[in-house]
Amino acid sequence: MLALEFPPLNEILRWRDLFPTFNKVALIAVAAALIGTIIFLIAARQDGSKAPKGIRNFAEMLVEFVENQIIMPAMGKSGMGWTPFLLTLFIFIYLCNLPGIIPVIYMPATARMAIPLFLAVLVWLVYVGVGLKHQGLGYFGHMIAPPGVPAALYPLIGPIEILSNLVIRPFSLAVRLFANMLAGHILLVTFSLLTEELIIDGDNIIFRVLGVLPFAMLILMTVFEVLVGFLQAYIFTILTAVYIGSSAHPEH
Amino acid sequence: MLTAVVKQGASGIEVSLTRRVDAIAPAPRADEEEGDHSEGDEAHHAEVDCEFPFDTTEDAAASEYPCEEGPSPILPEAKELLWGGGAFLAFLVLMRFFLYPKLRKGMDARYAKVQDGFEQADAARAAARAEVTEYEAALATVRAEAAERVDAARATLAGEREARLAEVHAEISSKRDAAMAEARAAREAAESDVRSAVTDVTSKVLEMAIGRAPTEQVEAAVADVMNSEVRS
Amino acid sequence: MEALSILAQDAAAVADFGPIGAGIGYGLAAIGPGIGIGYIVGKSVEAMARQPESAGMVRTTMFLGVAFTEAIALIGFVVAMLVQ
Repeated sequence: MLALEFPPLNEILRWRDLFPTFNKVALIAVAAALIGTIIFLIAARQDGSKAPKGIRNFAEMLVEFVENQIIMPAMGKSGMGWTPFLLTLFIFIYLCNLPGIIPVIYMPATARMAIPLFLAVLVWLVYVGVGLKHQGLGYFGHMIAPPGVPAALYPLIGPIEILSNLVIRPFSLAVRLFANMLAGHILLVTFSLLTEELIIDGDNIIFRVLGVLPFAMLILMTVFEVLVGFLQAYIFTILTAVYIGSSAHPEH
Repeated sequence: MLTAVVKQGASGIEVSLTRRVDAIAPAPRADEEEGDHSEGDEAHHAEVDCEFPFDTTEDAAASEYPCEEGPSPILPEAKELLWGGGAFLAFLVLMRFFLYPKLRKGMDARYAKVQDGFEQADAARAAARAEVTEYEAALATVRAEAAERVDAARATLAGEREARLAEVHAEISSKRDAAMAEARAAREAAESDVRSAVTDVTSKVLEMAIGRAPTEQVEAAVADVMNSEVRS
Repeated sequence: MEALSILAQDAAAVADFGPIGAGIGYGLAAIGPGIGIGYIVGKSVEAMARQPESAGMVRTTMFLGVAFTEAIALIGFVVAMLVQ
């Protein structure tokens, strides 16, 4: 008889401390920051006046990706000053997502609420700060009384706008990233467990043959997670760009 | 049997869990090593039914959550928040103030260089184009001059030929005139010879016929007839 | 959330309905976003086929729309995990 015991979520998400206060998720986050720093350190050390190659080419590709695919559609040319922030955000989130599909590590750091929450709060602080800097208290005024809306609708639209801008935006930003990565992680765990249960623990040739199916699915999901990891980093970054852009120029 | 082990919030879980443990005989346990799904002595573990992942019970005992299933998986953990946030902020500061500006400077320098190259190429192309037009203008003047000279030469040649032609023509016509005059003179001489001969013959025949010399009138008529007959 | 988890505990005390409820809840939460994402992507493909030169802009907007719609399904997923 087969018995599939799905481990409790904490077992697949929480890790023992490597040393006090430092666990696997923290390790991944630090490694992500370190890898990003190293890539850009090497890139910045290479001679920029020649045609870029190797790591420098890769780094410049990233910069151009952020400028052309994220800033230009979301903020326009005036948002170019935000390139370093958005670039860092994108690289950090992507490198935190990536371990979720790397064998042996198999843990996206963003599948824990801590990092998405921190980043969402940071983004919230940044775009509220930009709004206050560019529009003063009119930033909140625009929220209560959005331009282009009939005055009779203010009591209806105002609260929704305030809620949407100040609560739902950071919340959905954090939850989107976190839940996507957690769901992907749980899917991978599920198919790994099924594969293990059927192929390794299966006491019957039929089970062992059937075990190929979850294994194929595991590979498929891994490929899918590559896409999701990239897409979530991209979406988090472009939404940040959209929020900052709308704070700086409310008419857009 | 498909058992999904579930966990709830913070406190009061033991009750429900124990119940479940009591109700379902081989309680799923996570304090065992993964893959080791032994079903033995669950009575001993009933009290220490931790679902938190510890390889050994010593680890579990040393943990902050010794015998709970741990906090909700959704709540952020302070240490992860601090490490993750710290790593990100450090990365951000490095990128913002050191790495990115350096990279950007290199990129801008290269772009400026490429732009310069473009501009230089444009200038060189413009210069070349100007030179080509200059050359073409020179060529056109030279060609015009040559054409002028050729025309002049041709005109001179034509004039000379005309003059020569006229000369030759004049010469020819004068020669022809002379020849024609000579011919006419000869013919006239011959005619007058013939006429005098004919007149003589006619007068002789008349003399013989009428026995005397014809009169002046007759002779003139004969000469007239002769003239008209011979001419035609 | 407290009330939900108490509810879930009570349910678990009687019989372990928590996971079932969570599963049904998540399934219900996924219906709307599923339809929504289908609409968004379908319309985007239509737009891209009609005007291939604006494909880049359409793709960006499509991702944004998908992200907003997907958030609802993900909230359902998180709530399902909370109440189970």
